[in-house]
Amino acid sequence: MRSYPGNAGEWKRLGFRCGLEIHHQIRTEKKLFCHCPAGRYSDEWHAEVLRHMRPTLSELGEYDGTALMEFKTKKEIIYRLNRETVCTYEMDDTPPFLINEQAIDIALTIALAFNCKIVGELHIIRKQYLDGSIPAGFQRTAIVGVDGELPLSNGKVVRVVQLGLEEDACREVSDVGHRIVFMADRLSMPLVEVVTDNTLATPEEAQEAAERISRLLRATQMVRRGAGSGRQDVNVSIDGSTRVEIKGVPKIPRIAALTAHEAYRQEALLALRDELRRRGFDGGDRPGRALEKNLAGLNFNRPELAGAGKAGDAVRAVVLPEAKDLLAWPLAGWRVFAQELAGRVRVVACLDQYPNLFHSDGPEGGLDEHDRRLIEREAGCGSRDVAVIVWGPPADAETAVNEILDRWAEVIDAIPNETRQAMRNNTTDFERILPGPDRMYPDTDSPPYAITDDRIERARVLVPEAPWERERRYREQGLPEDIVARLPISPHAPLHDWLVRAGAIEPVRSAEVLARVLIALRRRDVPVDTLSQDQLEDLLVALGDGRIHREGLFDLLPAWAERPGLSFAELLADLGWTFDSEQQRERVIEQAVQDALELARSEQPRDPDNLQRMAMGHAMDELRGRVAAKDVLARIVQTAEV
Amino acid sequence: MAEPTAHELEVTGSRASGVTLPEPEPAEDFKGYRGFSRAVLEKTGARVWCEVRLNTDQGDFVGILLPRTETADDRHLVIKLTYNGYNVGIKTATIRHIEILGYRRAHYKIPEQEFPTDPTKPNVVLLGTGGTIASRLDYRTGAVIPAFSPGELYGAVPELADIANLDTKKLFGEFSENIGPPHWKAVAEAVVEQICERNVAGVVIGHGTDTMHYTAAVLTFMVQNLPCPVVIVGSQRSSDRPSSDAAYNLLRAVKTAAEGDFAEVMVCMYGPTSDNYGLLHRGTRVRKMHSSYRSTFRTLSDTPIARVSQDGFVPIKPQADYIHRDMSRTPKLTPVFEERVTLLWYYPNMHPDIVDAMVDNGYKGIVIAGTGLGHVNKPLYPALKRAVEKGVHLFMTVQTLWGYAQMFVYDTGRDIMELGVTPLANMLPEVAYVKLGWVLGQTQDREEVKRMMTAPVNGEISEREPFDGYLVFQGGLPELEDYFKRYRV
Repeated sequence: MRSYPGNAGEWKRLGFRCGLEIHHQIRTEKKLFCHCPAGRYSDEWHAEVLRHMRPTLSELGEYDGTALMEFKTKKEIIYRLNRETVCTYEMDDTPPFLINEQAIDIALTIALAFNCKIVGELHIIRKQYLDGSIPAGFQRTAIVGVDGELPLSNGKVVRVVQLGLEEDACREVSDVGHRIVFMADRLSMPLVEVVTDNTLATPEEAQEAAERISRLLRATQMVRRGAGSGRQDVNVSIDGSTRVEIKGVPKIPRIAALTAHEAYRQEALLALRDELRRRGFDGGDRPGRALEKNLAGLNFNRPELAGAGKAGDAVRAVVLPEAKDLLAWPLAGWRVFAQELAGRVRVVACLDQYPNLFHSDGPEGGLDEHDRRLIEREAGCGSRDVAVIVWGPPADAETAVNEILDRWAEVIDAIPNETRQAMRNNTTDFERILPGPDRMYPDTDSPPYAITDDRIERARVLVPEAPWERERRYREQGLPEDIVARLPISPHAPLHDWLVRAGAIEPVRSAEVLARVLIALRRRDVPVDTLSQDQLEDLLVALGDGRIHREGLFDLLPAWAERPGLSFAELLADLGWTFDSEQQRERVIEQAVQDALELARSEQPRDPDNLQRMAMGHAMDELRGRVAAKDVLARIVQTAEV
Repeated sequence: MAEPTAHELEVTGSRASGVTLPEPEPAEDFKGYRGFSRAVLEKTGARVWCEVRLNTDQGDFVGILLPRTETADDRHLVIKLTYNGYNVGIKTATIRHIEILGYRRAHYKIPEQEFPTDPTKPNVVLLGTGGTIASRLDYRTGAVIPAFSPGELYGAVPELADIANLDTKKLFGEFSENIGPPHWKAVAEAVVEQICERNVAGVVIGHGTDTMHYTAAVLTFMVQNLPCPVVIVGSQRSSDRPSSDAAYNLLRAVKTAAEGDFAEVMVCMYGPTSDNYGLLHRGTRVRKMHSSYRSTFRTLSDTPIARVSQDGFVPIKPQADYIHRDMSRTPKLTPVFEERVTLLWYYPNMHPDIVDAMVDNGYKGIVIAGTGLGHVNKPLYPALKRAVEKGVHLFMTVQTLWGYAQMFVYDTGRDIMELGVTPLANMLPEVAYVKLGWVLGQTQDREEVKRMMTAPVNGEISEREPFDGYLVFQGGLPELEDYFKRYRV
């Protein structure tokens, strides 16, 4: 049983390869193909619609494998509709309106940020999804750019093979048995998809690439923030395996561990295949054997099996020849081969409560000695054979039997082409068969959309400097790491760069305001976003030339944010922070210092140092922000000593 | 910057070794490409369905060259990218070289399997007129083309075999909007032929949805005394998509034809937008009410006859209010239609010359869709009078669609009747139009025409309007389900 982190050299030995599909919602006012407002979510709903999905022919006249599998599962799909966020387009009762122009512009800027080649004409494609997450049964998607690049910190350049613009799917509410429920509010939200090639050669490279993509997207200020706005699909393979997709990774920092575990799983499956070959067994079409008989009447101890007959469920069994000791074959992170079978049964047969199968291969199979003998006898198992038992509604049990046989047959191919979901412990479980290009076909409801050179040039102007370039520069400026992390993707980065280049303020002072103070205030619900970049510029320039001081920002900024209509000069006047003349300034300081010392003395400190510290506090109450703290302190020391 | 013309463009072509192309087939090889793009294809030897490497100013693109929609511009080539299946348009003017790597022509084939025949199951025939019960894509127009043989249908909707032995007969392949009197007559004749000579348990007619309700009404008139159901069906979402309503509609229509205790011409389409059930609408009371919704067909001024789903039929109308199956009946066929008939949708300030124009152009019958209870403005009166004097048959329906023309209520109505306009109670305007064409195909006698028009064949005029006949939504959304439970069935 291997788990991440392993040793650094093994990725090369395994031939680890990884590619990414990063999805991120973009900040438009409306959805992609209709005029519903974008980015509003609620758990309230006003109506439900029931649908089913049926596979159709792709453009090249083939049925897609995933499509057929999804059809086998025969799910009832329920969509919950909220009046505010769903119209008849999302329900697939109205054809698409023309594609959202704002979304095209954003996608163009993002494509250019990755240095993609822009296509001449956008073709809206339907990508089939029969899992129900899209009521139409397909996602409308289009390629905006191809063949871009993403540099990594180790100097390697990863190709961005495509930049797509597509509509988001529904939010899943529940998926129990044959009934899956979705909220439709997220449906058709515009998002971009960044797809890299599969040259990421270590889990760490994969994670860094995902981070860089995500940060570049955020640096454009054109993508949405917050939970659920970004999702990652990660493709992993090793030498001798086929591509497996880990779908919907919620957090980028999990990518390294997830991809490593997936590589270990594939390595273990390859070894399992070799073990089977060693046992002189190499498959044939369907090496397993199903028992046609319903075993529900047998005298099992195991309560699920004993009670099946009464519940109207069938108990069915499959014999896997030469499988002795292989169902507990370790994969990665405590997972064993039997779970590969269980995952298929869960998804395809809709038997979704684990355990959903038992087997006769040792005590891990969930059967006691009595049940084990019973089933082995009933199934006619040889000494090297294993029986696998499933139970459930007869049709589902039948599906489960066939699915186990299919998965067992695939052991000989080692790694089935699967989509897998990320589990909490960074292992993966089966989600569905990986769809191929056969599920794509043109959207007959949408005309091709030509992209003009003018439009590309307009989008290019908005491309931000790459965050990793900014990071390098900020480190050179001596900024602390938390700021190096935050500022490059902040909307204020260009302001910081401009002021520093102009010599208006020391980098660390500007960065601290933009990447710490504003965030701290925002967390206290101070509406700092009401202030424009010009207003922040005035503030930083005043900070740079000593008209105001750092200590005063927590008074000044809240006051300004509440009344963003004021100019900076008006604000200072309003706060009484301006001085008519140098003499008046002196008088104000003098008076404040004397008052402060008097007050401090009245508090009778024993130690003279304490007296000065207390006086400093009192004086700063009066002078904070207007006079530099060090000047106030100097004056207190001077006055106190007199 | 102006884009170069074809002869200015220095583009070259080559073919990878070992690649052979089939015999040229100009109609297919350049499908949808014209002007500049076509010139580039011809010059480089590339054709539709070739796998190509396009060397452009931006770099290389590899994919299958796809046909192009004919209405699109001539400045782009469309390829399906090999590595991911996406289609993109490449600006033709940026292409420097096209290398042909292979040839992969799409073979659209709905997996065809022989339809299994079970002697214990009823026989149903599906007559095809067009529409997309099962279909494939057409690149030339980007539209879908129907697939239709029993084997194709079985391949697409295998559950059909659990219901009936299905045979199909393609009458024609017309979009709904192109269907008219010659088609109506042909369908009527085919229905009678199937019932009388082929001994079917019921007839299903596949039809585009736009004018389905015209066909439903006219068949009611042309084929009377039915022994079994005649069910018209189509789909609102073409069957090239996973969420299509086509399969359910077809299954429900075939079930109705095979097992339903009905003997009327009916439309069978979605009840709610959900997949729960379909509605059987009487052919003379049904109308398409939404341009794209699945549940677009509604019965007006009445309730649908029944709900139908995999589980069976739930009658909505009382048993006595619809015609039941009786295989001993012999259908009566009257396939006639006078085409010089029109439908005049009145609007405020309509000028009389509109009516005059119709009369002068030889129209023999005019159905007016009047306002409210059946009204038009006074300036039209002389024109209507003149029309009647010239022997034109005038009838009044209501553009409110629901409710009756009741021309005794206001003086206006009485005046119009005085001019010789006959009110048609609650007959729908479109139904009145096809009925008048059918009647005038048989007689021109004023009194006989009037008698036939006002004597209902099957519910086009109803004596009583049920209180729940005025429901636009006939089920589906939860609040309406509640309404149904409280007030009906």
